[in-house]
Amino acid sequence: MLFNKRTERYFIWLFFPLALLLPLFLEQNTFYVSKLTSVMIFALFVMSLDYLVGRCGLITLGHAMFYGLGGYLFWMIAPEYEAVNFWVYTFYICMIAAAVALVIGFLVLRTSGIYMIMITLAFAQMTFYFFSDSIEFGGNDGLFIYVKPETSIFGLSFFDLDNPTHFYYLCLLSLFNTLVFFRLLIRSRFGRVVDAIHENPGRTTALGYNIFLFRLMSYVIASALGAYAGYLFTLQYGFVNPSMLAWTTSGSALVMSILGGMGSIYGAVLGTFVYEGLHYSLEHLTEHWLLFMGALIIAMVMLFKNGIAGYMEKLLEKRV
Amino acid sequence: MNTQVSLDIQVMLETQGLCKYWGGLKALDGVSLQFYDKQLHGIVGPNGAGKSTLLNLLCGHYKPTHGRIMHKGEAIEAIKPHAFARRGIGRSFQKTNIYPGASCLENCCVAVQRRMGGNFNLLRSRYSQKVLDEIASDALDKVGLGARRDQIAAQISYGEQRQLEIAMVLATAPQVLLLDEPMAGMGHEESQLIIELLNRLKREYCIVLVEHDMDAVFELSDQLTVMVDGQHLTTGTVSQVRDNPRVKEAYLGQGDEVF
Repeated sequence: MLFNKRTERYFIWLFFPLALLLPLFLEQNTFYVSKLTSVMIFALFVMSLDYLVGRCGLITLGHAMFYGLGGYLFWMIAPEYEAVNFWVYTFYICMIAAAVALVIGFLVLRTSGIYMIMITLAFAQMTFYFFSDSIEFGGNDGLFIYVKPETSIFGLSFFDLDNPTHFYYLCLLSLFNTLVFFRLLIRSRFGRVVDAIHENPGRTTALGYNIFLFRLMSYVIASALGAYAGYLFTLQYGFVNPSMLAWTTSGSALVMSILGGMGSIYGAVLGTFVYEGLHYSLEHLTEHWLLFMGALIIAMVMLFKNGIAGYMEKLLEKRV
Repeated sequence: MNTQVSLDIQVMLETQGLCKYWGGLKALDGVSLQFYDKQLHGIVGPNGAGKSTLLNLLCGHYKPTHGRIMHKGEAIEAIKPHAFARRGIGRSFQKTNIYPGASCLENCCVAVQRRMGGNFNLLRSRYSQKVLDEIASDALDKVGLGARRDQIAAQISYGEQRQLEIAMVLATAPQVLLLDEPMAGMGHEESQLIIELLNRLKREYCIVLVEHDMDAVFELSDQLTVMVDGQHLTTGTVSQVRDNPRVKEAYLGQGDEVF
């Protein structure tokens, strides 16, 4: 079975039907639809990071580089006043991001542990300052996207990206597909080797695997999907901004991944929604929301050893 | 008859003046040895004699400072660590080295899959090929762990974990088995199991065995090498080595009790 954990199946049956129906009740309130859309986009980004950190054991603090790159790439390669095809540009952006990840991964993956954290951070900061300091890329203010792409396939168009509800469904579909993709990836033969490398790299080398290549491949896949999330973000708000590239973006994504339960993939969605949910509700209660937010995150991380997903699994899988 | 047999004996692995220096420390100093196919070559020596260093060089884990390693007549000392395993040089480790979180079968599946191809297949299920499971199962049966197939490796006994490690090496379909103290920390009965296993395996593979259990080594070895302080002292059959006065003097000291 593809989703081999009972908890994950519950999650999928609960989350996706609910998310599917929600816009019907929120028809009048585009604010919440947009808010949920942006959370889903970020959940997709966190998922790609969760795969790297939790499944491959490659801890990076520079994943936001690809998030931002997804946005800037679109601005760079798409004509300014002409609607391009969404799917074609999804392909372009993922491919270019993958190529960039191939080069950077080649350098970064020679290190591991704390050194890898530092060097990924260094690359991300380089990218951040490159974009925030160059006038051609709008500097600190970023850039506007004037025309959103159209989404026709063979003349059929299901999504109108200017319509928040349509865009919501596009992001929901992307989130679901990404979850299925990662599940397939984890169950695959490639995934078996990735699991083996995560658990015991030395042993895996001794069995004849070139572990560098498997890590590089994982890095490339996760980075391309991270860029896809950034591309969606840019389309939602119609701008790109250096803050997408900031290390705080990587940092909060990492917190969400840990909160959700590292390596569980669906936990990334849980973590992101809980984090953003807390953020949103505390922000409205008090000016000093960050203080309470921090305390709550610490409490949750200490309480749930393997994140929210791990805690729920402990409750639900016992009876099996 | 006898000449026919000896003609079949083939040099599988060979070292020529192999050295490994750690700064000024000569962990291994000019060791030249030949390991034959379908024979068990025991290596003994006191702590710090360079036995484990030798194994780590033979499996590509370390790069030699000087000297050559020949596998079937080809120099391989410069190739990458994982390429050693691909040439059929498999090893087990002194400290148990398995995937503790996975089932015994899965442990062996990782070993089998390497040569079955499709390792970069991102979508095909890891469970899709029955043959892979069967080969992995066979390896478990070979070491007598068939009944532990579906148990998590961390939950089986220490002795069984050592057996599992050998099963993993066998699952790679090796030509050479480098075994680093497979009986370390085992009780007498468990050791006996491994001895029986190695007695069976040595008819099929070239085995290099580093072991502290003298009785086991004397029982199993076709060839025996004694090493002292990173240097090669002598090589011969078990009785030749036993009778060698230099061995008694240099390695065993008042070792009469051992023999």
